[in-house]
Formats: sequence, structure tokens, C-alpha cells
Amino acid sequence: MVTNARMQTNGTNLGSSFQTFWKKNKDNILLPAIGVISFLAVWQFVSMTGITRLPPPSSIFTDKQTRILLLYPFMDRGGLDKGLFWQTLASLQRVALGYSLAAIVGIAAGILVGTKPMLNKALDPIFQFLRMIAPLAWVPIVLIALPNVQIAAIFVIFITSIWPILINTKVGVDQIPQDYKNVARVLKISPRKYFFKILIPSALPYIFTGLRIAIGLAWLAIIAAEIVMSGVVGIGFFIWDAYQQNYVSEVILAVFYIGAVGLLLDRLVAYIQTLILPEERR
Amino acid sequence: MNAFLSVDQIDKVFPLGGGNEYIALKGIDLEIKQGEFVSLIGHSGCGKSTLLNMIAGLDLPTNGYVLLDGETIQSPGPDRMVVFQNYSLLPWLTVRENIALAVDEVLAHLSPEERLAMIEHHIDLVGLRHAADKPPAQLSGGMKQRVAIARALAIRPKLLLLDEPFGALDALTRGNLQEQLMQICEENNVTAVMVTHDVDEALLLSDRIVMLTNGPGSKIGQIMEVDIPRPRKRLEVINHPSYYSMRSELIYFLNQQKRVKQLQARKKGVIARHGLEKVNLEIGFVPLTACAPLAIAKEKGFFAHHGLDEVNLVRESSWRGIQDGINMGYLDAAQMPAGMPVWLSLGGHGGDPLPVVSALTMTRNGNAITMDKRFYDQGIHTLNDLKRMLLETPDKQHTFGMVHPASMHNLLLLYWLAAAGIEPGKDAKVTTIPPAQMISNLQAGNIDGFCVGEPWNIRAAVEGIGYTIATDLEIFPGHPGKVLGVREDWATAYPNTHIALVKALLEACQYCMEPANHEEIREILARHDYLSTDIDFIHLGDPNPMVCGLHPSPKEYAHHIFSGKGVNRPSRTEHLWMMTQMARWGDTPFPRNWVEILERVCRVSVFSTAARELGLTDITYSRGAIELFDGIRFNADDPIAYLNDLAVKHDIYMADVALDSGLSRVA
Repeated sequence: MVTNARMQTNGTNLGSSFQTFWKKNKDNILLPAIGVISFLAVWQFVSMTGITRLPPPSSIFTDKQTRILLLYPFMDRGGLDKGLFWQTLASLQRVALGYSLAAIVGIAAGILVGTKPMLNKALDPIFQFLRMIAPLAWVPIVLIALPNVQIAAIFVIFITSIWPILINTKVGVDQIPQDYKNVARVLKISPRKYFFKILIPSALPYIFTGLRIAIGLAWLAIIAAEIVMSGVVGIGFFIWDAYQQNYVSEVILAVFYIGAVGLLLDRLVAYIQTLILPEERR
Repeated sequence: MNAFLSVDQIDKVFPLGGGNEYIALKGIDLEIKQGEFVSLIGHSGCGKSTLLNMIAGLDLPTNGYVLLDGETIQSPGPDRMVVFQNYSLLPWLTVRENIALAVDEVLAHLSPEERLAMIEHHIDLVGLRHAADKPPAQLSGGMKQRVAIARALAIRPKLLLLDEPFGALDALTRGNLQEQLMQICEENNVTAVMVTHDVDEALLLSDRIVMLTNGPGSKIGQIMEVDIPRPRKRLEVINHPSYYSMRSELIYFLNQQKRVKQLQARKKGVIARHGLEKVNLEIGFVPLTACAPLAIAKEKGFFAHHGLDEVNLVRESSWRGIQDGINMGYLDAAQMPAGMPVWLSLGGHGGDPLPVVSALTMTRNGNAITMDKRFYDQGIHTLNDLKRMLLETPDKQHTFGMVHPASMHNLLLLYWLAAAGIEPGKDAKVTTIPPAQMISNLQAGNIDGFCVGEPWNIRAAVEGIGYTIATDLEIFPGHPGKVLGVREDWATAYPNTHIALVKALLEACQYCMEPANHEEIREILARHDYLSTDIDFIHLGDPNPMVCGLHPSPKEYAHHIFSGKGVNRPSRTEHLWMMTQMARWGDTPFPRNWVEILERVCRVSVFSTAARELGLTDITYSRGAIELFDGIRFNADDPIAYLNDLAVKHDIYMADVALDSGLSRVA
């Protein structure tokens, strides 16, 4: 009896805490859900009226081949015929490589340019010029310039995502408060110590802003690159392939994957930022 | 050479866009001794932080150089550590790490243990043990500044530079930190230079206060020695006898700088009209009953009647303001204490001799010596009582207030004391205090008595704070009180304006002497523009002829005389007498060329022309010899013999005073 009673109180506690949670977050859950469902409903309705050839969202389940892809993301039938998990993972690996390269080169170059105003003057026009070239425009150039498709894809990611990192780092270094520089000058702090104790901590918030913008751009670039570079495993080429074969519902499924992964990547960098930067400097 | 830090003829010029430049500092010269605490004070934009930065080496002077211990400063260095206004702590480091960053870098020659001990010692020094591992963001403003001070002191700088260190703190925190800083500086014999805009902070902390004038081209306006003994306590320094006067001098300086700016902005050039060279005049006065002729000339239209239709009366709170206004040329003319024209012409203000002329004596009499009420209760009713009291209490410093070294109050007071054998400066101290602050100083016990013009004596008596021990009627009846003074170059440039001004004031003086007008004049003087005081304190004629009713032999009220036979005519004899008195106390040299100086200062011809044009008849009046209450006759033919015969006097020095040609300084 005693145990029963305790369990009962526990049960009511749990129930009441869920109630307070629901009260607090009702609007945060209910409203987005209503929004998404309405959007899908309108889409479904428009597709069913026949105004557009775009299949309705329900085709993800109704179309047999797409249903297989949806239910078995880990399947591997060799060659390019792999589940969406493997496709996405391949793309992510490329992004990881290109993005890491961009981060290393971008931060280093940004610091160099930020600390040497002369260099900044000389290189700034080139940066601003290259920055404006869309990822797709790079594809033909790198395909001609580089020996294989894998390297070309990584290079496209690198060249697209380096600019926000480089430019934000440069601004961060520019913006080191004069006060900190004066402290360093008065104390005659050694260059090495200045770099690690003042320059990097001071520019870090800017660098992270650059990194966060860049991860989005890198993910955008991989899709663009793979769509054009045929014959690789990756979510971008998967879309292109599906389109060629008129599996439109597969395209829609892949688009859901892309969106979800992009969201996760952004959250990931934001989370790393919270780990490294103390709260008041974010 | 004992200068530890010397700033030698520094100029600082900042280039502006379009090839222009801004001269921030010009000709700064300053020497600082080891262990000295010096404050730089001035208005925003006067270049005080720029000067500090140049001492730090963060900025280099355009011309001149800064020497520390004999070496030219060319770059910043840890021997001149700066405490910045906004703390400049690194937010990603804790308190300990911030201090450690400085200590590890600068004291790298010490062992790690010694450095750690140094860091911990300074954390304790500023009382931040409990916050040693917190980042600056979790500290209050006062704590952050303590960290900055600890960081600065921990590296043992030769010189500590503080840039408005307490500017952003609340009053309570500021006070505590000031005391802590002072204690640390005293214990470690730190030499420090601090920029501040807080007068009380400067007085509390400094040995010397350097006052900078407004930019562009800021220079050192004045340097004040703060002689308050150390160790000082924040709540006790204000009771030091000279605290109040030093504070008012600083505030005066800052206000003056502000006003000069305003007046320069307002200056509209010379307006000539009605056959006069200049009709827009700025005339200075100090709010006293004696300013009646100026107030009346303005309010009753005497200025306008003589063509001076754009006269602006500028109220100064002290004679120092008049002195500076004439010296810097933003006043055209001024009501002056009788001795001031000679005093300025002899360079008594500490600069080059400034030839000033006087063509009109505006008032006579109207002054008295007031003592603190407690002396009355002690039975001190006469000069001899006072002398006895002073001799009986040699260990006690007695102080008298007067309004200006060149004023008749000072000369009469000193003469009066000396006549009894009391030596000013030794037996009794005499200090300068603006007229309107006399009573509050007497009440606060900063001074024991004062000599000042009405209405302040009668007010002290009415309010029961003091009593009149002597009036000028008993010392030097009919002495000149206030005169009209203008610069000699001004008089040369605007001769007709000068005559018109004398005419207007002569008529105003006559108006003031007419008893029928007294009610009206009292009402005008009591207004906000003039004395801004209760009409009951302003007396021109009787109702009550006694100034101090409680006295056993009530004093006859020393009414101002504005007009009468020989009243307004400037007198060479009187100016010469004042010249001898100023030389007697070592305030000015006695000029070997005294005949020339008198001729230049005392412009009888201007007065005569004005009087003749008004149809007055006392042109040929002669005052005769001067004889004061002690019976000593003043022989105007042989002032040097007179000086030699005086019993009580300071060291007198003779000099040739070369005046510039009046024409070379036309403003």
C-alpha cells in the first residue's frame, strides 16, 4: 500500500509537471505544427487539382521506390545505388574536408591581413572580387583546372566558404579595442603572447560568426557541386540523377534531407561556439 | 638636477583633413620630483589626456621632449604604467590572470615563486582576495579599477599614470578608492601623474595641481601647490584652513576658462558710432555697494546719453576675475580696487607689467574691518586689545581675509595692523577671499576677521557673526575705494570713448550722491543682476548711522562717497601712497622710475576734459598731503625716505619697471 501510494504521488507529480510544461510551451509547439501541416495541406491540395506536375507530399509514401528509400536509408546495393544515409554521409565528408581547409586558411589569412594594413590594401579588391562568384560558376573552372572530380568538389566548398571566415576574422582583428593594444604596448608584451592572450581571444567572437555563416554556404555549395559533377555518391548527385529519371518524389525526399542536415550543421557550430566562448561575449 | 620627470617645451599638433591642423598643446613645461603626486586638471578637450599619453609614450610630441630619469621617452614601457579610464582589463582572463599577464611579462627576471608572491600580494593590497578567480565581467566598476591599480602597481613602475581613474565610479566607491590609492602611493613612494576633472579629487590626492587652459593651443595656466600635510583623510582635508581658498581658486580657474570661451564666441568686433571709436563695451564689476555708479549709469541711461549705447556690465565674483578680464583683454574697462592700476602696471599679477590707466575715482570710504564675534566676547574692542591677544597666543595662527592684494582693504588692514606693531605674515596671516565668501568663511572659522567693503560688514553685524572693530573713517578717512581702470593701449586706441565713459560715470556718481535717489538706487542694487541680496543690507545714507550696535563705542557707518569736492579726481599722491604700501609688503617692487609710472597710470587730463565738458568746476582741486590715523605724514616728494622710515615692513626691493609702448599692444 505504501509503495502504491508513493507511486501514485510520483505519477501525479509527473503528470502535473507535464501539464506545466505543456502550458508554458503550448504556443511554441502547437503554432509551428499548425504552420507545417497547413503548408503540406495546401501543397497536397494544389498538386491534386493538377495545376502543377509537382507530386503531392503524400507521394513519399504512395510511390513505391521512394517508400523504400524512406524506410531503408542504410541499404547499399553497390555503385551509386545506396541509401540516403550513405549519400548524405558522403556529401558531409566532402563538406568536412573543404570546410576545415577553409577554416584553417581563412583564419590564418584573416589574421595576417588584419594585422598588416598594407597587405589588406593590396589584397582586399581580390577578395571582394572572388567572394562574389557563385559556387556554380566555380564548377567549370575547377573541372578544367583540377585532375579529378573529388578534389574539384572539395575545392568548390573551400572557395565558397572561405570568404566569410576570412573577412570576419580580419574585422575581428581590426576591432581589437585600442585599450587592449595600449595595455600590450605599455607592458611590452611579446608577439607570441600578444597573439594568444589578446589577439585570438579578442577576435574569437568574430571568427565564430564567420564560421557559422560559412557552414551554411559550404552545405549549399556541395549540393551545387555534386549536381554538376556526375558519377559520385552524394545527396546532390542523387537529386540530379532522380530528376533525370523523373523520380520527382525522390527529389522531394532528398530535399527534406538537405534541409534537415543544414539545420543540424548550423546548430552544431552554434553549440561549439557556446562551449568555447563565455556567455557574455557571444 | 632633482627633476625626475621633465616635460620640456612640448607642442602637439594633430593633422586634420584638408591640410589643416589642430594645435592641441603648446609650450608645455613641467618638472616633477620623485615621489610627487601631480594632477592635471582642465576642461574636456584641453589636451590633458594627450599630455598624459605623451608621458606614457603612447603618443609622441610634435616638438619638445619628455625626459624620465634623464632619458628621452620614445615608446611606451612598463616603467610608466598607465591606469586607463575604462580599466582595460582583458575580459577573458580572471583577476589573477590579468595581473599575472603583466607581472610575468615585466618581471620575467624573477623566479616563478617570487612572481606568484608578487601577484598574490597585490591582490591582497587592493582587497580582492575573494574575487581573484572571477573574470572582470562579474566585478563592479570599483573592483575593476582596483584590479587595474593592482596590475599597475605590481610591476613596480617608476611612474604611475592615471587617466581619470575614478571618473566612472559612484561617489562612495570613489572616495574609498582615493584613500586606498593615496595610502599605497605614500607607502611605496610612488611618483604619479593623474588626469582628472574633479576639483576635490585633485586637492585630496595631489602635491601639485597643474591647470591647463582651453584648447586649441592649451598651455599651463597655473600650478597650485597643495600644502595640506600628509597623511590626508578625505573627511579631514576639507577642514584645513587653506582647503576652501584652494578649491575656489581651482573652480575660479575652470569657470574662467569656460567664460573666456563664451566671451570670445560673443565678441563682435568694434562698433564705432556717434563720433566715438567704440560704443560696445564690456565693463566688469564685482557685486558690492560700491558698484552703484556703474549700475546707475546703465539703468538710468547715462551711458546711452553719452553715446555708449551698447554697454554690457559683466559681473565677476572676485577681483581676480577683473584682473584676468583686463589682462586677457575681454573686458574693455572695469571697476577696480584703487591699487589695481598701479599693481598691474608694476607686474604685481606675476606676468609682464601691464600698463593700466585710471582717469576716475568712483568711490571713497565704505570699508571696515570685521572680527569674529567670539573676540568681542573676549573683550577685544580696539586695535591694542587685538595686539595684546595676538602676542599672548603666539602658538595660534590668526588669519584675516581681504579681497585682493591690490585692494585698499588689504593696504588699510596691513597698515592698521602694522601701526600697532603687528607684523603681517608673522603675527597674523592675511589671505585672499572673494567679498561674497567672506561671511561664510568667517562663520566656518577659516578666518578670524576680514577687511571688506559694504554690505558685508553690516551683514556680519546684523547676523551676529562678527562685529566691526574699525571703519576706514578711523584709519584713512576719504581714502579712494574703487576706480575706473582701462588698459593703456585701450585708452590710446579709443580716446573719445574713454572720455565719454568718464563723463557717463561722473554723472552717475553725482546721481548716487543725491539722497533723494537713494531708495531707487538701493532697489536697483538689490536686483538679481547686481548684488542679488536683501535690500536691508544696502545702505547709502542713514537711517541708522551706526554700523555695529553692540560695540561699546558704536562705529559710525563708513558710507560710500560717490561724489563731492575732489572725490572723483584721480590723485597722483594717492596712487603713489598705494605704490609705497604695496612695495612695503614686498608685493611689487618700488619702481625707480616712479614718476614715469605715476604719469602713465594717473590720467588727470582725461578726467579734466570730461569734467570740463560737463561743466564741473573742481578741475584744479588739490588734495594735499595724506595723513593716517597714526599721525605719520606721507611726503609725496620723497616716497623712498617715507618707506625707509616705516618701522614694520617686509623686504623692499627697488627696480626699473619698463613699460611697453602703449601702442604696441592694441587689441
